[in-house]
Amino acid sequence: SDFLDEEPRSELSSSQFFKEADQARSAVNSLYRTGAPSMTDGGVYSGVPTMLGAYMSGFFSNEYAGQELHVSNTQQLTLNGDNIGGYLQDRWGDLYRGISRANNAIKYIPETPGLTDSERNQLMAEAKFFRAYAYYYLVRLFGPVPLTTEPYDSLEDLYLERSSVAEVYAQIEADLSDALYNGELPNVGMVDNGKRISSGTVATLLAEVYLTMSGNPLNVDRYGDAASLAQKIVNGDYGSFSLVQHDMIDGEVDLENSAYNKIRRSDASAQEHIYIKEYDPAISTSGFPRYSYPTGLSQDVLYDIVNGAYQPSSTFMDLYDPVNDLRAQEKQYFHTALEGSDKTFEPTPYMWHDDEAIFETANSGKDQAMLTFADVLLIGAEAIAQSSGVTAEAVDYLAQVRARAYWQSDISTIETSLSGLGVNEFVEEVWKERHRELVFEFQNWNDIVRTRKFPVANTPGEITFVDAVGFVTSQDKQIEQKHMLLPLPGPELQRNPSLGTDNNGY
Amino acid sequence: NNYVEITKISLNLSNVKVNEVLDVIESKTEFRFLYKDRDLDLDRKVTINVNQERVVNVLDKLFENTAVIYKIYNDRQILLKTVSESKRPKSSLGAEIVTPQQQTLTGSVIDEEGLPIPGASIVIKGTNVGVATDFDGHYSINAEPGDILVVSFIGFATQEIVLGNQDTLNITMKTETSSLDEVVVVGYGTQRKSDLTGSVGVIGSEKLLKAPVTNSLQGLQGKVAGVNVFLNSGSPTGAPRIVIRGVGTINSSSDPLYVVDGVVMDEIQFLNPNDIERMEVLKDASSAAIYGARGANGVVLITTKRGGESGRTIIGYDGFVSVGKMRNKMDILNAEEWLDVVRIGMENTPKYRPGTTPVFTTNDPDLFDAQGNPLYDTDWQEEATRTAISNNHQLSIRSGSEKSSVGAFLNYSNVQGIMLNNDLERISGKIAYDVTPKDWLSLGINLLVNDVKDTEFEEGGGGQVPRRTMIEMPPIFPVKFPDGTYSNSFMIDDAYNLEAMANPVHVLETQERFWHRNQLFGNVYAEFTILPDLKFRTQFGFDKHIREKKEYSPRDLINISAPNGYARIYNQKSTYWQQENYLTYTKEMDDHRINAMLGLSWQEQVSEDSNIFSRGFSDDFFKYNNIGAGSDPDSPSSGYSKWSLNSYFLRAGYTFKNKYMVTLTGRLDGSSRFGENNKYGFFPSVGGGWILSEESFLSDVEDLDNLKLRASYGVTGNTEIPAYSSLATVSSGTILLNGTRVSSSQVNRLANPNLEWEKTSQFDIGLDLAAFNQGLRFEFDYYYKKTTDLLLDRPVPYSTGFAAVRDNIGAVSNKGIEAMVTANIFRKPDFNWETSFNINFNKNKIESLGENDEDIEPGPFWVSGSQTILRVGESLSSYWGYERLGTWGTDEAAEAALVGAVPGEAKRSAEKKILGNGLPDFTGSWINTFRYKNFDFTADIQFVGGVDILQQFYHSTEDRSGIANGLATILYDGWTEQNQNTMVQEIRNQSYAGQNSQIDSHWVVDGSYIRGNLFTLGYTFNQNVLDDLGLNKLRVYASLENAFVIDSKDFQGYDPQATSWEGNQWGQNIFFFQYPKPTTFTLGCSFTF
Repeated sequence: SDFLDEEPRSELSSSQFFKEADQARSAVNSLYRTGAPSMTDGGVYSGVPTMLGAYMSGFFSNEYAGQELHVSNTQQLTLNGDNIGGYLQDRWGDLYRGISRANNAIKYIPETPGLTDSERNQLMAEAKFFRAYAYYYLVRLFGPVPLTTEPYDSLEDLYLERSSVAEVYAQIEADLSDALYNGELPNVGMVDNGKRISSGTVATLLAEVYLTMSGNPLNVDRYGDAASLAQKIVNGDYGSFSLVQHDMIDGEVDLENSAYNKIRRSDASAQEHIYIKEYDPAISTSGFPRYSYPTGLSQDVLYDIVNGAYQPSSTFMDLYDPVNDLRAQEKQYFHTALEGSDKTFEPTPYMWHDDEAIFETANSGKDQAMLTFADVLLIGAEAIAQSSGVTAEAVDYLAQVRARAYWQSDISTIETSLSGLGVNEFVEEVWKERHRELVFEFQNWNDIVRTRKFPVANTPGEITFVDAVGFVTSQDKQIEQKHMLLPLPGPELQRNPSLGTDNNGY
Repeated sequence: NNYVEITKISLNLSNVKVNEVLDVIESKTEFRFLYKDRDLDLDRKVTINVNQERVVNVLDKLFENTAVIYKIYNDRQILLKTVSESKRPKSSLGAEIVTPQQQTLTGSVIDEEGLPIPGASIVIKGTNVGVATDFDGHYSINAEPGDILVVSFIGFATQEIVLGNQDTLNITMKTETSSLDEVVVVGYGTQRKSDLTGSVGVIGSEKLLKAPVTNSLQGLQGKVAGVNVFLNSGSPTGAPRIVIRGVGTINSSSDPLYVVDGVVMDEIQFLNPNDIERMEVLKDASSAAIYGARGANGVVLITTKRGGESGRTIIGYDGFVSVGKMRNKMDILNAEEWLDVVRIGMENTPKYRPGTTPVFTTNDPDLFDAQGNPLYDTDWQEEATRTAISNNHQLSIRSGSEKSSVGAFLNYSNVQGIMLNNDLERISGKIAYDVTPKDWLSLGINLLVNDVKDTEFEEGGGGQVPRRTMIEMPPIFPVKFPDGTYSNSFMIDDAYNLEAMANPVHVLETQERFWHRNQLFGNVYAEFTILPDLKFRTQFGFDKHIREKKEYSPRDLINISAPNGYARIYNQKSTYWQQENYLTYTKEMDDHRINAMLGLSWQEQVSEDSNIFSRGFSDDFFKYNNIGAGSDPDSPSSGYSKWSLNSYFLRAGYTFKNKYMVTLTGRLDGSSRFGENNKYGFFPSVGGGWILSEESFLSDVEDLDNLKLRASYGVTGNTEIPAYSSLATVSSGTILLNGTRVSSSQVNRLANPNLEWEKTSQFDIGLDLAAFNQGLRFEFDYYYKKTTDLLLDRPVPYSTGFAAVRDNIGAVSNKGIEAMVTANIFRKPDFNWETSFNINFNKNKIESLGENDEDIEPGPFWVSGSQTILRVGESLSSYWGYERLGTWGTDEAAEAALVGAVPGEAKRSAEKKILGNGLPDFTGSWINTFRYKNFDFTADIQFVGGVDILQQFYHSTEDRSGIANGLATILYDGWTEQNQNTMVQEIRNQSYAGQNSQIDSHWVVDGSYIRGNLFTLGYTFNQNVLDDLGLNKLRVYASLENAFVIDSKDFQGYDPQATSWEGNQWGQNIFFFQYPKPTTFTLGCSFTF
């Protein structure tokens, strides 16, 4: 009888979904904060998931390692699918949740009434971008993973087998290409696009994907694709991007208003930031300022608890030239002293220091950049060198990034020093700059995995590359082949017998 | 006894059978006769001619010169019984007294209410000398000192009294609870206890209210074997948790169903306990299956008090004042010891963080004197608590007339918790009115209003809340500095790098957490007597709750609400109604007795809630009174949910020759909460009983009063899952995009249209034994309960985008025994000692889980993840973590380094394992009641065994140190080079040198205990004193609750029964700091006039 019928009122039933244009919009909106974007969500003690690789490399540590098992086990390279299985399962789950929601949007947006073709294409493009982004994280972290592009409407086909790395990348490439070429996304930056995905965002991710496909573990040569896409971005095909420059006073760089500090102080840079995780002090606050001081400084800031969850080791700081690299100077990338006191501490990220939040509100709305124009330039430099040799363009791209850091050097000197290099030497120079420049986009470990090379500076600022596998980290732990992937989450292995065995070596 | 006196009857019958006479009386009046066929010679032919006679006169005539006596109950019910030949009072209603006299003893026999008992038999033991009391309960007998009087009456415990030299003796008879003729409330009606085939625990109000309880479930503790009452908090606002015969579910609620006067009630802990007349606990399938889909966790039937007897108005008062004090303190560091720990931690720092060399100083002039000694040594446990003074007053007015009765009850109670500012104030009123306007119709109404205001104490979560900071706030800080500002842990200049915390007194005194709960509850019924044996009852009941929470946390509470403050207004409303109709047929014919019931029911509940929350206050003035003053509001939120239930049920009981009985029960339930394809479920049960003591082969066993075997099997269900669980629904909210909130929606569940009932099949076999004139009673049950088709959040691969689907999969079993023995060790007129012991053993096991029997980590989630695990073959509530093998020694440095440790840190197993269990293997209690002259004394001892406690507070009070206060063990048992054989890690300053902490076996401790639950001393005044005072009854008492607890020496918390994870199914016995449970001293009195 009717008496037992259920009619939810505070939720829609799924049969009522995608019946109106606004529902399609709202389904896509939700993708901005699930899936790949959740990789920057974390607590003050735990750090954020994208820091896992940084812990494995030994380059970064977290003061709460003693209670955060995913930190201690990655730092000590004792990780496996059991001891950090729950943590990994949550990440796996977050990413697939994003994929599932994107799948739902991608399936039903085409039949949602009330959308213009152009808007429909844009929404589809956004959904595909987020699906690809989530798979890109998954394939880099776990290697072969289940590939699903249909939403689950029933309890069938629960137990998917793993698809090969190549198949996953094929899906990523297909989604991103589709979004880029059929998505009718505006050719502006994300910041200028109401902080929605723009073609520049899609192109940048696709360029990075091509570069990653060209390296380990897939090793298919897509340098040409990466290069041409990076060139188009640099040339303004997908919006106008450039590196933020230092302010000058009397011909000298104003250190307080260096490019890095200007970026730090601004919310998001329309010029340089291509994909950002958005934050707002009243709606969704950023936790990153809490990582900008060590825990011992909690009493000196307005936050009740701060934690050095991303504290660089001295071996990492040694990657920078201590004299000539602006990024290594106090209060540029990192800092070691509290303003207005004699308190000093081990380096913590100054890039996340938000003056207002730290001292006035304990509430930060600063966006977190995850893809930047510097990345595009470095992708371009490496990919051009690999596909066309060390061209002037490749040199220019790398020099732009390096010259901003070597603030007392002349760009032409830098260009000259790079021009004569062979491809491999030049590519290593790019890698060095990636390690130094993209540290707050958490690219170090990705690059170590992709290149299988570990950067070592026995003399500060002079980096050589050694084989990553076999390298002994600053935590005194030897990196093994298996560490090139994470173990599969133990709970997921139990839930899905079709996954088979764990990643090799775990 | 108005009706009895007023009602006159005329009969003109000749040569008819006795039972025909009784039938005629029943048809002409409201009197109803209760008797055992075998007791009466119903076929005896009599002739009776009376005109306008009172019924008692008719009965006197009818049973003249027979052994039949009678007693009138409730002004309507007349019990008929034969006094056996040997005990027959020869003086019955004027019959002659046979034996010669020694000396004349006179007195009266009354019941516990002070009402006279007519027809009670008083026999001198070993003789056939005896008398019966007259209509006013008076008697007179010739006896000599040393004679033993045997006083008996149906429905009351037989007493043996050794005579002294007195010539008067007043005898108070106590209701005999395990008498065969006792009537027991069962679902939708009553049954003779002797006819029961199920396992039902019965507790009267006098037992429930023996302790000065302020919570309706408190008094249930230890009274019924197999009913586990977890009083998890010392706070008056804490909710007890009841588990009957083990936890048999995983994702659904394990709470029993509470039915008050036939109406299902929510939030039972706020019901005024003084209104309760009796409780029945339905434990097995035969008894609970009548509640079908909601019966799997057992059913607690509560009957509240109603109107008075005919012709009497009784006004009663019960009240008490109690004083609660903290029973014990945790052994933590004082100022000097704590400073030692800080200093040592700093000194040890270079070992953990080479190159870091903090310097220990004591320079802050606000905290240290010139010599560097601390100015303060604050005992925060003392400062944050108080002596709690509570009082409770219950006024009752009960009155009855010929055709109606009315009862009105008013309660006020004000209960203080021992934590500062934690109070509960309740005003409740109840009115019950019953009327019989026609022979064939009775009507009744019962209305209850409850108004509770309380200041909730925060008992969940892991933040710097008072129950934690009363332990962790460093003792070097004062409550307030001389300038009047509250201290917090940041108010120190020395570089201690303390963890942020507001002091507990500051939080307790300034943070507001007000609840205001209103409940309107009641029912109205009409009962039609269609035929003498057939009744129809229709009943409408409702339970409405309106709850409001207002919260404000000021801007200066660091690590709680600084710097912005926050305010919340939360409203919740639920409306439940039920409409039930049922037919009852009772018939007795010769050797056959039938009791049948057939009914149908509709139930529905609608819940709504809304929440407004804001931060960013520029002033602590406005609070929730002007929440718009907050500059940083959250999105407002609201919710709605509704469920409905439609049921058809029947019960048929048949008893043959008072020896063999069988009960069949069936209920068909339809619930909105289940999938489209499986709305309805059927829950049958069958029970059988055999009273062996009625068999001829046992009739010679002189001292055996009753021996009964019972067995039952049946299926009950559980529906307690959130509404809409079978549907895939789309959650909508807002997210941040481009600096504003935009709408966002996502499918949040996998649909399961096949979702259906969780089923518990239960087998029970039981034995009831009574001997020596009820002087020894024994009840024993064995049960095996298996819950299948669990309403489980069945794990699915996360690659689906979902973590679980609500599905019927998996099974859990509970098996156990319950035993209760009650012995009346002494039964002397001036001294009576009754002892009662009950125990329940329960073994719980997960039989199967999801499709792949995956482990499930259900939480509570905390440092190092889920603290418990669900694994096939193991018990529910199993703690999950590594084993702490010890601490690494200096000679193991190399081995330690492999796992990133150094000597002094904890050494743990490589694999996680099950570390213990939060649900007890056995629980029980031992209750002794003594009566000496007018004094009564009760000693109630409760015990729990085979259980563990997870001391999560070891994380922050032992595993890490220096940033907050902690356990004394860190200083005295901690690892040093000289003391390497220890479980306690080396002192290490967390802020400078990190920590090493995760759930491991060192946190787990034996949770068994013995508790001095209650000691009560009462005095009941004599009638002659009462007469002077104009009272019927007066008792005064003093009691001591929670006097002592004997627990494991390794247990470092306050009380071994608690949870810091209120509401979490698996949080039992997991402590991250507790609300200390007080020892309470109470003075009370009750009187009626």
